[in-house]
Amino acid sequence: MAQSAREILSRLAPDFPMRHVGEIITDTTQFMRISYGDVIQLAGRHFLMLRDEAERRFGLEDPKFWVKRCRCLETGTRNILKLVFHESFPMTIGSMVVSCTRSPRKEARILDLVRGDPRFMQGETLPDAVGNPVRILDIVAGKRLDEKIEDLEMPHEDYFHTLFPTILTRFIEACEAIHWLHERGEKHGDIRRDHLYVCYDTGRYCWIDFDYTFDFQEKPFGLDLFGLGNILQYIVGMGVHTLQSLPAGELDAITRDDCSIMFGNRIVNLKKLFPYIPETLNSVLMRFSLGAEIFYDTTEELIADLTRASASLDR
Amino acid sequence: MNTDKILIAFDGSENSLRAISYTAAMLSPNPRAQRTVTVAAIDRPPDRDLFPDDASWKTACAKRADAMRKALVEARSLLLGAGLPETAITTRFVESCRSPLRESLECSIGTSIALEILRLAEEDDFGTVVVGRRGVTRQEEFLFGSVSTKIIHAAKGLAVWVVA
Repeated sequence: MAQSAREILSRLAPDFPMRHVGEIITDTTQFMRISYGDVIQLAGRHFLMLRDEAERRFGLEDPKFWVKRCRCLETGTRNILKLVFHESFPMTIGSMVVSCTRSPRKEARILDLVRGDPRFMQGETLPDAVGNPVRILDIVAGKRLDEKIEDLEMPHEDYFHTLFPTILTRFIEACEAIHWLHERGEKHGDIRRDHLYVCYDTGRYCWIDFDYTFDFQEKPFGLDLFGLGNILQYIVGMGVHTLQSLPAGELDAITRDDCSIMFGNRIVNLKKLFPYIPETLNSVLMRFSLGAEIFYDTTEELIADLTRASASLDR
Repeated sequence: MNTDKILIAFDGSENSLRAISYTAAMLSPNPRAQRTVTVAAIDRPPDRDLFPDDASWKTACAKRADAMRKALVEARSLLLGAGLPETAITTRFVESCRSPLRESLECSIGTSIALEILRLAEEDDFGTVVVGRRGVTRQEEFLFGSVSTKIIHAAKGLAVWVVA
């Protein structure tokens, strides 16, 4: 029978309402049963469970029951605990379906690899009583890059000439961080614009969430490159531009080759919408278009082209 | 360029079997010629991270390697059946350095099968590389890459036969 968390909570968190006191959890396998007021015990440390994390997508809250927002009772810090959840599922990318696997082992390994590197979220892995590797993550003190851009209220041209050059410089640094992983045989696995944060203190970018993995044999980093391309399109365009969002008059100028190779309704030839975008930058976007003759094979190639594009911007 | 040594990139798929059949057809009219054919399969064990534990990963690795070795036997039979002399045919299974089952000293360390095939070709002076092509969509090539496309782009000093 599980032990009550009453004693430890009254000692280390006396402000916690006793009516919500739960149990001390040493085996996290049944993560659905761990709820508010329970205390997860790992290697002598205690984490008060506050809530399940959730992802907000398409206007809906999608709870992630294996990801717990906690407070460390010994230090008072807030952490995110990721519990072991093995799953494989089909992920739809445009017209293709890719098999994706969630790997706690991979994320634990990358956390070790990137320790002390501010370009990545930080954390450590502790085993629970039955050996489940629980990842204890520091909360990134920052805001999602896409949300920062979404909040801007200015014309695209002003954005492009004032804010964008710095954003591109930071994004190149973020690409270099991914390249650094690739050089060590690791992939991020889930590069999306909501997985890149802007740190409050430094303004630099920080990647989060490394637990997805795929089995791509010939181009193991293909999905990471695709994700970087999507973020690039977003930051250049100050948002996503689809065929549906265009005024009828502008639609005639757009061809299939101007659209994303994976998402046929997403415009990547942004120079057609914003003519002041330099050709050097637009040509990078076009490498992700249906009309592309050749594709990026490595992050290094992308970085080299982006660095040239960055140099061509007015500052 | 050594036109007598032919290397076939093989992965047990239908398109690589087509590459075997085509090569056999090309060589069989003159089986006494001094040409040799090597059928090379590059081991690519599934990523360890896809499995919850080592035991299930090893089982999957063994299953994949066994299937490849059986396919190599089939490839050899196809070439023999087409009239190529036994001495002219070699099969090679190049184990991955990442494989938990690895026994041989030589192993494949890279991530690209295409580059590994070209490495073999260069090391052993093959003048021709034969590769099957599945006919992937542009989206598939963008995301997953293509062995035949990469061989075509990266090959130097040899002929490439692409059997589509």
